[in-house]
Amino acid sequence: MYIYDMKKRSMQEPTFLILTALAAGPQHGYGIIADAEQISGGVTRLQTGTLYMALDRLRSARLVEPDREEVADGRLRRYYRLTDEGAALLGAETERRRASAAVAAQRLRVRLAGGTA
Amino acid sequence: MSPGGTGQATGTDGDMPARDPAGAAALERRYLRLLRCYPPSHRAFHREEMLGVLLATARPGQRTPGLGQAVNLAACGLAIRVRRIPGWLAADAGQDALAVVSLIAPAVVFILLALGWAVNAAAGARVLPRVPVWTPLLPVPVLPFSGESVVVMIAWLAVVVLGLTGRQRTAAKIAFISLTLALLALLFVLVVLIQQVHSFYFNTFPGELLPFLPFGDVPVVLASLAACSLALSPGPRRGLAIAGWRRACLMIAGLSAGFGFPSIVQLADPAAPIWDLAFRLLGVLAIAIAVAVTCVRGPVGRRVAGLAATGLLPSLAVAIPLRVPAVILVPMLVSLLVAVLVWPVAIVSWRGRVRRVAIVSWRGRVRQAVLFVRSDRTYSRGATGPSSDRVHIRRLF
Repeated sequence: MYIYDMKKRSMQEPTFLILTALAAGPQHGYGIIADAEQISGGVTRLQTGTLYMALDRLRSARLVEPDREEVADGRLRRYYRLTDEGAALLGAETERRRASAAVAAQRLRVRLAGGTA
Repeated sequence: MSPGGTGQATGTDGDMPARDPAGAAALERRYLRLLRCYPPSHRAFHREEMLGVLLATARPGQRTPGLGQAVNLAACGLAIRVRRIPGWLAADAGQDALAVVSLIAPAVVFILLALGWAVNAAAGARVLPRVPVWTPLLPVPVLPFSGESVVVMIAWLAVVVLGLTGRQRTAAKIAFISLTLALLALLFVLVVLIQQVHSFYFNTFPGELLPFLPFGDVPVVLASLAACSLALSPGPRRGLAIAGWRRACLMIAGLSAGFGFPSIVQLADPAAPIWDLAFRLLGVLAIAIAVAVTCVRGPVGRRVAGLAATGLLPSLAVAIPLRVPAVILVPMLVSLLVAVLVWPVAIVSWRGRVRRVAIVSWRGRVRQAVLFVRSDRTYSRGATGPSSDRVHIRRLF
């Protein structure tokens, strides 16, 4: 149900960044924030509240699940991993973004050709 | 950009910058306080790791959370709480609480209407020599014994009786019809009020306006609560099985006394200054005490109290020190808002019985609401008595 709904509408940027950050392997909260900043080219810096609100939602939608726990500096670190549904959703979203980017690029080429001709 | 390569590598970074221990402890304490905005279950699972991330992202020597971060944490915590309300109500304790509310709320509404009618009747008896009085507001005579409020009272009595005899769906329909009429009445009076807000009328005795409500002065928030709980819960009989007669009667009496406090005082002393701020605050206090004393016990009781406390909303608005016309307008607007918000439930429940659902996420919610209404028509009947699919009645109070 949730996935169906998510497919209908475009994914929000934080969700996309979090899923992308988890695509290659499990990461902990701080790692996701750092990675998301890097993926977005420094544009988006996730706030801790936003990250855990998204994780809560993604976890209840079974797109993401806890992987393992570690203790570092006396603090608990929980790693999260992408589920198969999460990977499928990210794949669909990537395809959607690629398609709209392709359309944009094509229109820009048309405009450029029209402008110079 | 190398998102592929960072998977494991970032596991080793995030070392905390060196800080003075006192400052770090103060920062941690403040973060912990902010994390209280999150629901307990979320806190139990995420608190330690969130704290770790928050401290790891802090600047060296930072002692207080930044304003933006504090607002973000509070807003996200509250958003998660709001998101969990449907799940909270769909869970066992929430369903049981709704069942208890579907038992007591209609009864309280009926008693409040009866009290209001008694106050009007007493006032009418005093002005009887002058009846019929034609008002500048409406071309109708002031008839305190007028038919419509009696009709509304009978309707709510019917809601109580139908609920107790297992005809929950019919009860919900009548409740929603009454609520809709009250909503129309509110809109109508609101328009008249706004037009005449500066008239002499309000500066003399605003209380006289209330008898003009064409469909009776229904306590809209409580009525909404009653109608929704009838539509969305296993029903009053299940509520009775959970709470028991004694406790149900205690709750009904307590809540009626709390919410009906102004009417009761007016009955005792018609000249009581019910529009004074001190009196209004006293009324709010009476409701709060009634809710606290009669409802709060056990997980179901806490939920019942939480639901009943929403009835405080208009009263809280009344307690704000405002000029006399606003004193009437603000609670009306609040009631109106509640009644409008309740409408989707009315429409959904109209089509059929409502089945309990596990709500996965807020985005899927509307779709599921439509789905569960069309399926399973036997659930409600099965769950109204103690011999239902959930046979054992836990000791919840």
